[in-house]
Amino acid sequence: MTVPWHRANPALFEKERREVEEAYPLLHVHVADDTVFIRGTYAVVFEAKELDRYVIEVELAKDHPRSLPIVRETEGRIPRVADRHMNSATGDACVILAVQRWEVWPIGRPLREFLDGPIHDFFLGQTHFEATGEWPFGEWGHGEKGIQEYLAKLIGVEDPRAIVRHLECLAAKKLKGHWPCPCGGGKQLRTCHLAFLGRLAQKIPRTVAKELVAAARRI
Amino acid sequence: MTTANEYLKNVLAAQTFAEDSEQLKDLEQRRKDVEKVLRDKSGSSPTIRYGGSKAKGTMILESYDLDIVCYFAHDDTSGGETLEDIYNNVRKTLEAEYVVEQKGSALRLRDRSGQTSGIYIHVDVVPGRFTDESKGDVFLYRSTGEKKRLKTNLDVHINHVRDSGVRDEIRLMKLWNVRNVVSIRTFVLELLVIKTLDGNASDALATRLEDVFTEFRDNSEKLSVEDPANPEGNDLSELLNDSVRSELASVAGRTLTLIGQSGWEPVFGQVEDKKANKQDAVRRAATAVTAPTKPWSREA
Repeated sequence: MTVPWHRANPALFEKERREVEEAYPLLHVHVADDTVFIRGTYAVVFEAKELDRYVIEVELAKDHPRSLPIVRETEGRIPRVADRHMNSATGDACVILAVQRWEVWPIGRPLREFLDGPIHDFFLGQTHFEATGEWPFGEWGHGEKGIQEYLAKLIGVEDPRAIVRHLECLAAKKLKGHWPCPCGGGKQLRTCHLAFLGRLAQKIPRTVAKELVAAARRI
Repeated sequence: MTTANEYLKNVLAAQTFAEDSEQLKDLEQRRKDVEKVLRDKSGSSPTIRYGGSKAKGTMILESYDLDIVCYFAHDDTSGGETLEDIYNNVRKTLEAEYVVEQKGSALRLRDRSGQTSGIYIHVDVVPGRFTDESKGDVFLYRSTGEKKRLKTNLDVHINHVRDSGVRDEIRLMKLWNVRNVVSIRTFVLELLVIKTLDGNASDALATRLEDVFTEFRDNSEKLSVEDPANPEGNDLSELLNDSVRSELASVAGRTLTLIGQSGWEPVFGQVEDKKANKQDAVRRAATAVTAPTKPWSREA
């Protein structure tokens, strides 16, 4: 059995714990059943004023930081329905779109940044929704629809098959001009969207493109 | 300038239900609904009574519950032959209307309808069987742990807390526990607070709370509790295991540090009407986020 990350890398565990507890005095890091949890009150603060508080538990994966943490709102305040971005079966919060992780909290970034960014935005969004009935930053569609929306926005094309073709090009070691253009127009890449793909290749690393191809093919 | 004691009193006031509050009315209706579900199935046979923080006088707005006990007579098998049967039969009955979560001897009810699905309705049902005709002591089934049967007494529990003289301290410690998600059962926390403050001469609420935190931080390994309804028979050590003790000590230590550095307000937050101007403040806060992330849902 694989050794959990906090035992395999105690220095990383201590660093993550120190940073989280220093930045968030009402959260504490606790190990139970060989799993690392962050528990306590997450205050949504703006201009030094507390807008709201959520009681949360963040369960870090055994292979942290590779897999995304599981976030729970433990008071039962947020309805466990997809429309509130809560998994009805488990009560887990869908804080971010998993395939967008590479952009918003890449593997290797400090855990504190997950609290500062995605968790902050998620709970601010929930408070905003309770107060106004609107999601301040928008929301992704549920399930595969959200993945489709994200990839379409990222690549700049709507057709799911064209998205896969674009990502396959980006996942290749090198773009070759004689390839058929992924736009589906019938021309060779060099006389069609080569420059466009070049710009995309600068934005999306090849390793990421490989993972996104897999996600796009599943849709 | 508000003193620490005044601040804590304000926290307590903000956590107190108004007599005519919507939450209390809602809780009353929930209670009737749950009792109806149980009565429709079991008729007049079981004794259905109310316990929990309402009966003990330790309710807080942020985390309140109503324990509804559903006790069958010692010689009544209509609810099931064994304690486990009773527990599971009551659970199945409730599952027709609610999402039911097993929590030790209790069954925690969540809404199962539409947009409020999964929300805790602040009602726990505790099935059991009286030990004899006097209808005082009961046997409860435990869905977790090695020992599956627990002997206890609801009235003894209620009286122990209600007459402890430290209900304010208990309410604040419950709030602290809720806010920090320490994995200690409320029942055990109540007993620890009562025991720690037994004979404490200080009349300052802040000092007494600090004494509790200090005890948790410095003596977590020595903490022990006994079930007042069955001191010899019920071993509560499982509820106060090493993991709970270390978490209690760690969080109490952090709380004392916070109090030392910045006073009490960071511990329990600002006491004010947070609803006022909330829409405007929340909108401005959202506008200030430069690279926001959008929520998703795995479920289609």
